[in-house]
Amino acid sequence: MNFAIGLGLDTLSFSLSLLLVSLGLVIIFGLMNVINMAHGEFFLLGAYSVVAVQQLQLPYWAALIVAPIALALVGLVLEQLIIRHVYHRFIDTILATWGISIVLKQLIIIGFGPTSQSIVNPLPEPVHILGVVYPSFRLFIMGAALAVSIATFWVFYRSNLGLAIRGVIANRAMAASLGLNTRRMDRWTFAFGAALAGFAGAVMAPIMSVDPQMGGGFLIPAFLSIMVGGVSHLFGVVLGVGLIGSTSTVISSLDTQLAAQIAVFLLAIVIIRLWPEGLITRKR
Amino acid sequence: MMNTRYLGVGLTVAVWAGLMAVPLFADEWSVSQLGQYVTYGILAMSLSFIWGQVGILCFGQAIFFGLGGYLMGLTTLERFTWFGGSQTAGLLLATLGPALAAYILGKLLFVGRGLSGAFFAIVTLCAAFIVEISAQHIDFIGGFDGLLGVPPLMASWRAGDDMLSTNETFYVVLASALLIYLAVLFIQRSPLGVVLAAIRNNDERTASFGYRTTDYKVLAFTISGAMAGYAGALFTAQFGFVSPAVIGTALSTEVLIWVAVGGRAVLMAAFLGVVLVRSVESFLSSALGPYWLLTLGGFFVLTVVVMPEGIFGRLLRLPLPKAWRSARAGRATEPGQDPLGMRRTPDST
Amino acid sequence: MLKVSEVVAGYQAGSRVLDGFSMHVRPGEIVALLGRNGMGKTTFLKALMGHVAVSGGSLSLDGEEIGGLKPYEVARRGVGYVPQGREIFPDFTVEENLLMGLLGRPELPSEVPDWAFEIFPILHERRKQRGGSMSGGQQQQLAIVRALVGRPKLLLLDEPSEGIQPNIVQEIGHVLSRIARDEGLTVLLVEQNMELVLGMAQRCLFMENGAIAYETDEVQKLRTDPAPIHRYLSV
Repeated sequence: MNFAIGLGLDTLSFSLSLLLVSLGLVIIFGLMNVINMAHGEFFLLGAYSVVAVQQLQLPYWAALIVAPIALALVGLVLEQLIIRHVYHRFIDTILATWGISIVLKQLIIIGFGPTSQSIVNPLPEPVHILGVVYPSFRLFIMGAALAVSIATFWVFYRSNLGLAIRGVIANRAMAASLGLNTRRMDRWTFAFGAALAGFAGAVMAPIMSVDPQMGGGFLIPAFLSIMVGGVSHLFGVVLGVGLIGSTSTVISSLDTQLAAQIAVFLLAIVIIRLWPEGLITRKR
Repeated sequence: MMNTRYLGVGLTVAVWAGLMAVPLFADEWSVSQLGQYVTYGILAMSLSFIWGQVGILCFGQAIFFGLGGYLMGLTTLERFTWFGGSQTAGLLLATLGPALAAYILGKLLFVGRGLSGAFFAIVTLCAAFIVEISAQHIDFIGGFDGLLGVPPLMASWRAGDDMLSTNETFYVVLASALLIYLAVLFIQRSPLGVVLAAIRNNDERTASFGYRTTDYKVLAFTISGAMAGYAGALFTAQFGFVSPAVIGTALSTEVLIWVAVGGRAVLMAAFLGVVLVRSVESFLSSALGPYWLLTLGGFFVLTVVVMPEGIFGRLLRLPLPKAWRSARAGRATEPGQDPLGMRRTPDST
Repeated sequence: MLKVSEVVAGYQAGSRVLDGFSMHVRPGEIVALLGRNGMGKTTFLKALMGHVAVSGGSLSLDGEEIGGLKPYEVARRGVGYVPQGREIFPDFTVEENLLMGLLGRPELPSEVPDWAFEIFPILHERRKQRGGSMSGGQQQQLAIVRALVGRPKLLLLDEPSEGIQPNIVQEIGHVLSRIARDEGLTVLLVEQNMELVLGMAQRCLFMENGAIAYETDEVQKLRTDPAPIHRYLSV
């Protein structure tokens, strides 16, 4: 029973962090039709901002502010310099962003070295919850991820800004004809997506092995979640993340990491075969 | 514009002629290096075919290359006790096995519309990753270290168990490359090639003409897998080993860089992309040290954004066949682009 | 207000769908641009809005050159656009659709004014309903009000009567004429169908092959002497 609760909590914490990463990815894809292969590296940069903050002898919590701001800036620069030149060439956005991911990863290796960094856990005292002893920081991760995700949903579906973005996603030409500066929205949405990933990285850093390879571990599950869930509605992402996240966590605790990856891979293939546009598609 | 039209042909012929002449004046080590590049060149051509011609981006091309290498190695090392160890069997298996794998993968992954291109790219990346890790854990194929001591290519037509000399190996590899090059060129200019190009231009519209685009894509992917597998077999026979590194993400993504930098739509350009990147690599990685990969990545991004045709793409473009040329008389566009005029309408972003 | 001189434009480089197209619209006028399919009417509106590139000539709005501006820049200079096919946002409610007409105009408050729901009563009734669930005529009314909430000085309508039942066409005609009269709105109407035109327009321009072929400001005379209609509009 305790095992089940612990597993449930682990699933929740992994899924919620995956959700944060995936939300940024799906918003960027939905608005700009850009598959951002560098998203994993945005996550990575967020994690390394914690390293930087630590090296500057600042408290961990500063990173939660530094990371999203830094990543928003990185996102703005990249969008302006590179992405906007390729986003009418869909396949090339995959390549260009993947090239960017290589560059970003190398910059980290050059700046911080190739080996893993250790982050001091800012909440080392474990907590008693639901009858099990659980690391407090993981609870913080869940709370933070949930809060930010809910805020994102709120902005997207309940605010005027979100309406404008959804309008551009639905009909870019018409939205522009109504006076919306679609280019500026692209830029800032990309920056926001990057900031989300950066925040996720900063939040996850204390419980992960922070090394230059960590980006890939979230990129693929995030993409698969989006494809499984569908890109028409943000709830699709939630569903996709739920499926992928739980499968991954459960199987890797019962068997090896590799088995979990294979299981997730096969699950994604099966679902997409049956529902090519994901599980949640636009209602007609 | 006689000159520019035949520039591509001239340069292509010059490249092949040049390659054939190399063993005459180069030392043994250089020849074997070049043999390696040519082998990778075949791999690059397999990717150029599926990507430049059909428009399918595969992040896991090395899966087929490595699979071919493993099958060749296992056969010639006589790990398959029911097969015997002939190299012909090895080469055959190395071509057909990956073809089958590509067929299955294609059947699984070429689904409906929407994200299919992106889905395919990401899943193949994922697959390459999984295959590499799995290979590290399977002892039958050597686990992390892979197969070592794979016998080199043998001259079975000569008396005795004689291995081919470096030069002879090189010529076998080069001849293979040339034959494959011509075969792919033939396909490109055949009705099949036209359909594939139409699919690249606009999958849905081609399908609406009645073509079963999924079947065509699976076919093209199978051919591409076969080519890559054969190249893998040659690789293993030349260098005597195959390991999980040969089947995984590193090589898969590297070959993408070669083809993107060289030129994805023009076979010869993709081929030369390998040679360029590889030869520059050994020089630059010692000069630039840790900044090498960064430079390569940056250069790659630059190529994708500014020179999507690749460095050699423009130079080595071959003229359209006569039949196509007369149909397009009067139109001021260049050969190699959009022969059926099936471009999508631009969106007003 | 709108001065168009010798415009050359087309969808691809070098194509001349508009070929030396010139016309003008005075403030407060209701002008109809007529012509068969393919003569360039929609292309002109798109070129005006910045969706199609202009390769020659000039487009000026109140003295300012707008050729080459991006669509949002044209919109913000007071041009309202109701495209062919209406292009409402089917998944948004009526209210959200109208709000979209305001979100791109930072100088206006981001709240749909009450008068917007009073122009066509059906919009008030269906305020919270999905745009996609309405009939063609209702969607047209929605698209028109969406453009009007942006308080344009020039309203462009591309084939507003296409596929819509005659009584709604009439209602649209009356409403637009009234608004034009009361608010001084300038209207440029592109049409193939004479119903709306005869009810609203003060001047008719007939287009052929990318340029104006005939012009008249005696619109009602077209009822009795339909020769130009036959010449330029029949297939």
